[in-house]
Amino acid sequence: MSIRIGIDVGGTYTDAVLIRSGQVRQTGKVLTKPDQLLDTVLEALDSLNIASEISPKHEVESITVSTTLVTNAILQKQLPEVELILLPGSGMKLTSLSWPVPYHVLSGELDYRGRQIAALDKQELQDLTETIINKHLENKQKNEKTLAVVSGKFSHRNYILEQQLAAYLQKKISELSMALGSEWGQSNFYRRSLTAYLNLAAQDLFTDFRDGLIKAVRARGLQAPVKILKANGGMQPAENIRPVESIYSGPAASLLGTLAQSNPEHTYIVVDIGGTTTDIGLVLSGKPLLSSRGAHIGDFLTNVHSLAVQSIAVGGDSVVLPTEGEQAAVEGKENKNFSLASYRLGPAYCLGGSKPTTTDALRYLGLVDFGDYARAEEAMSLLLPEGKRETPYFREIAQNILDLMVEKIAEAIGILVKQWRDEPAYKVWQVLNPRADYKFPIKLSGGGAYGLAAALAQRMNATVTLTDHAMVVNAVGAAMAKPTFSWTLNLDTSLKRYRIEETGEQGEWRGSLRPHREVEQFLKTLASKQAKDMGLDEYRLEMEPFDYFPLIEGYRTVGQIVRGRVHLPPGAFQLQDYGPSS
Amino acid sequence: MKKTGIVFFPAFDWSLGETHPEREERLLYTQEQIFEEGVMDLPQIKQYSPAVANMQDVLRTQAVFPSPKHHELDAHLIAVGCSLVLGKALMAQEITNGFVLVRPPGHHSATVVWGNRGFCTLNNEAILANYLRTYYGVKKIAIIDTDVHHGDGTQDIFYYDPNVLCISIHQDGRTLYPGTGFCEEKGGPNSWGTIVNIPLSPGTGDEGFLYALEKWALPAVEEFKPDIIINSAGQDNHFTDPLASMNVTARGYGKITEMIRPDLAVLEGGYSIQGALPYVNLAILLALAGEDYSRVKEPQKISRRVLHGEPVRSYIDNLHKYFQQIKPNWRYVQGQSKHLPAGKWVSVEKEIFYDTEMFREQRQDLIRECQHCGGTVFINTRNQATMEKAMLVKIPFEACPACEQAGYDLVEHYKKSAQTLLLQNQLHNQVLFWEKSKEVNLFASEN
Repeated sequence: MSIRIGIDVGGTYTDAVLIRSGQVRQTGKVLTKPDQLLDTVLEALDSLNIASEISPKHEVESITVSTTLVTNAILQKQLPEVELILLPGSGMKLTSLSWPVPYHVLSGELDYRGRQIAALDKQELQDLTETIINKHLENKQKNEKTLAVVSGKFSHRNYILEQQLAAYLQKKISELSMALGSEWGQSNFYRRSLTAYLNLAAQDLFTDFRDGLIKAVRARGLQAPVKILKANGGMQPAENIRPVESIYSGPAASLLGTLAQSNPEHTYIVVDIGGTTTDIGLVLSGKPLLSSRGAHIGDFLTNVHSLAVQSIAVGGDSVVLPTEGEQAAVEGKENKNFSLASYRLGPAYCLGGSKPTTTDALRYLGLVDFGDYARAEEAMSLLLPEGKRETPYFREIAQNILDLMVEKIAEAIGILVKQWRDEPAYKVWQVLNPRADYKFPIKLSGGGAYGLAAALAQRMNATVTLTDHAMVVNAVGAAMAKPTFSWTLNLDTSLKRYRIEETGEQGEWRGSLRPHREVEQFLKTLASKQAKDMGLDEYRLEMEPFDYFPLIEGYRTVGQIVRGRVHLPPGAFQLQDYGPSS
Repeated sequence: MKKTGIVFFPAFDWSLGETHPEREERLLYTQEQIFEEGVMDLPQIKQYSPAVANMQDVLRTQAVFPSPKHHELDAHLIAVGCSLVLGKALMAQEITNGFVLVRPPGHHSATVVWGNRGFCTLNNEAILANYLRTYYGVKKIAIIDTDVHHGDGTQDIFYYDPNVLCISIHQDGRTLYPGTGFCEEKGGPNSWGTIVNIPLSPGTGDEGFLYALEKWALPAVEEFKPDIIINSAGQDNHFTDPLASMNVTARGYGKITEMIRPDLAVLEGGYSIQGALPYVNLAILLALAGEDYSRVKEPQKISRRVLHGEPVRSYIDNLHKYFQQIKPNWRYVQGQSKHLPAGKWVSVEKEIFYDTEMFREQRQDLIRECQHCGGTVFINTRNQATMEKAMLVKIPFEACPACEQAGYDLVEHYKKSAQTLLLQNQLHNQVLFWEKSKEVNLFASEN
């Protein structure tokens, strides 16, 4: 059996694991250096003694990294500017939605089937070119590239206008780096534009990281493919992943880490308690629930598929603030003489830190066994006014802190389950088969998570079990993630045009007007081939039921619109003892 | 923040026939348009998921004969259920207004349901209105029907009900299905004037439609002072509609919505599924959400002749004057019939045509004239195709003791002899059903 290595970059720590024959053989933990993520990843990698595990029978099969590189760059607004060129046509006013970046607007319009209604305007093209040339000259002086995204309404049904515009600009400015909205071939126009924007903006940053990582891995004598974890919980070879898809892989990793250690048929809620955030996700019959809308990051709404994870600002290192003072930084008043801050100031007081934290409350109550008891008591007393600094009050405030944490987690679980149950449905059979009222068992992971288990079980009236390898569950998730991809087809046989949403591929349909079986085979063949080219396992391709819409003109069928999808669903290989191992 | 609720239920797996106008494709492009525009990402838009209505909510308002199990109701029950979802959200103040963007439609479906009429089997708005009255104590409701076809089903359900104002603005019934909706249809003996029909000439466009709304429909609403306004938002007044001959634009529909300011809009007809629906639905939704709809523009230009200017205005003015002076002429049941409880009863006879399955229904409505309430209604109906007969007794919301008792007396007298009898006791939220003189529990599977 082979070796899988997983590395997860967290806000505070970066974890690494080495798994051989489905068993966790080594773990490592280093502090995250936010400005030197590549160094951090390599440090974590080097904390493992890989050489000692390798043998003729055991080779490294994959190294998978979950990194916050792009997430941080977006949130800290460190990405370069992109010229965003929009073709909004008529319809809703552009400013009805708030655009976090400036843009240029040109005419040229398609309708909902991708039929052209208005062409590009020559004069506007010339004016735009001039503007961008000037920008380009400025950038050149600063030794910066000029980036441009062209994005049109309904370009997910036809990329013709975007391509015409891009070709025109490229001819005038050959050094321009360009991307098209139609490469993100899903609705809607707003999200598609912003997703293309972020992806192009993050390209160089990501490429540098990736190339550096691969080089460093090779320099260590490892020939295994390097893979990157995506927001949807799937991994993909680093060479062909699109940078913006790597956002929010952390929460995905924790879900997968639990998945790898659970029965692949089971349904449950995952609660992963980190330093300052707790991630809550849902697994249904072994499949993690995907969010029905794209990810929201900073001021950007995107088309990036992510797992439906509720992240709340509560963790083991969350600072507890007495109500007096520091109010400005507090998120919400809890009216219990204290509140939980959304940040961390080093380790818990009982572990030698400087401020009382949630962990101190757990320690004081005897729910966790690490840390110094006397210091935990001192932490509780720091939260109380003079005159109340004695045992019954310590117990009371510690209990209140625990209750508040549990309450916040319970609330987030409620929101997640409601979201899942209330997902929109567009077909009769979906509404007639509503989602059942499960009693979800809970799987808990994270540093001091076990301290909360009893209280959470009582609050939720559910079974709560602790996940093994709780300290490095994210790294386990990265190591054991399965590859994912999907191919969503939109075919209009009357216009003889098909498109694949995920890749932006567009082509001419040469099949019949009403193609039932034929189109299913078409998509399957296309997906299998591309999966292979991307280095993904094609044998797991799953097909979803296709939708067929007969197109009628004056009581005559003139064609069909077909929507269909095949995909490699997200999932995790099982650790040994939890099911069939990889 | 003001929120606009939306339930979008295109029933992508249901149709009345492969090439029927009411088919899977009908809301496909509306979905493409609304989703692609990013309407669902507007901060004030709240999307709700569909739900199924229960039979109790249906039968409180409509008599489904010979019994519900004889009909294919799944898709219709979901369309109704979606309306109730937004009704509840409105009453819970989660939203300030909402759009029930669903198919199948409902406004041709009447008091008695023997089958599908004009693509409708259950009346979404009527069931919604009575649901709000039953569970939230809403007193007065106005339903404004802006579908090109006369909202005959809705009118029929509330014809004798003084607390629901039904206004229908439509293409003149002499030129279009269902062939009704004339000024003379103004309500029953206890509800005269709460039915308002504004039949417009074929060819009327934005100008005429908005004029009729401003000068006639809205003043009537103002006078009625409803607690809630529901808009039956059919979209076949659009100039591209293949079944009708009007010339309203998508932006015109935006303006209509802005002027009516409905609490809830419910999609009705509209069969220009490429030329109109994507744009009209977008305009309505934006208008409800308080967003600019002035850039919504259908690609086609009007090619039909548009009536405009003085002629269309004076036509409407004259019609309005005529409407105001129409007086009722009741036919009372003569003498004291053995089986009719005490009081003066008005008799109305009608024949209703079911175009989908091509048969007729023969109906006699008996309404107890009353100074105190809407009056109990007793309906005898016969399906002319199968010769099945059925009876309906309706005790209205806020019934006076005499009318309530009259309803019970009717039931007592007929429950043994009627083939089928339904009691809609709206006063006490009770629905009872007798089949072959035996009481049947229709709600056994419901909670």
